[in-house]
Amino acid sequence: MLCQHALILLPLFVATLELAIPFFPKTSGLIYLSLVTFIFIVAPKRCAIGDWRKILPSALISALGAVATFALANHLDLGPLVASAIVGLVGTFFLAEDDQLKIYLGAFVGMTSVARFPSLGLVVVAGLVGGVLWQVLNETWNGVGGRLGTIAAAAVLVVVLTLGGGL
Amino acid sequence: MSVLLAMSLGLLWGFAGHTLRKRTKLSVVAVSSWLTLVAALVLPRFFHEGYLFALICTAVSYVVMSSSNRLEKLWETLVVCLICTLLVYFGQDVLVGIGGRLGTLAALSALIFIVPKVHFGLLKARRR
Repeated sequence: MLCQHALILLPLFVATLELAIPFFPKTSGLIYLSLVTFIFIVAPKRCAIGDWRKILPSALISALGAVATFALANHLDLGPLVASAIVGLVGTFFLAEDDQLKIYLGAFVGMTSVARFPSLGLVVVAGLVGGVLWQVLNETWNGVGGRLGTIAAAAVLVVVLTLGGGL
Repeated sequence: MSVLLAMSLGLLWGFAGHTLRKRTKLSVVAVSSWLTLVAALVLPRFFHEGYLFALICTAVSYVVMSSSNRLEKLWETLVVCLICTLLVYFGQDVLVGIGGRLGTLAALSALIFIVPKVHFGLLKARRR
């Protein structure tokens, strides 16, 4: 359970770093290195996934939401707020309640700016990571508003820290 | 003045979200999406800082996705909406461009309220 909390706290941790790093710039590289080490070495060993069969559908739905939102926001110039709302609303018409949450999670991932994700490939990867994290963190912070956004931010940060984009 | 307006709008959106959740059969995603859509379409047309207000109301729409176990009463929802409004207003430079930023701030404001509430609830239960 401690591992799940550590993962979901990742965005809050990075936000704190963003505020604090100007005060100790020399150690920032070391902090990010330890963060990436945690994500790829410690987290997969410690975090148990409830049901592996649910991973793929969850990841695909989340990636779909991310790509749709990113495309609506940037290619149709609707902006991230309107785009995510449209994706969420369309999801409510066609999907069951649990899947609505997954596509809305993907929509949050797709709200990332072009400056962070210059290519659509990164959006797809972040969407897939979001779907996987949804399964890993399913019972964590249950019923807390903003949980989906926090998981989405964790997915985006994992991709930005490892594949590029930078903080 | 601007922060007072932001707080008023945050409370209004929180009240609307709470009412929609209690009085309609809309799913949490539908409630949040409608609140976000209205905020994003309406507020930038009426206010100079409309986009910031739309961000605040969107974050508040994520707060109202909290389950009724976590935020039972209207006043609890409104307090968390107020905390969320202030966090988004004064935390505009945090996690810029990262998807889920508003949700993270919404979760943070919910936890600021919920964690002490659960803690003091447990303390009361022990005393009994």
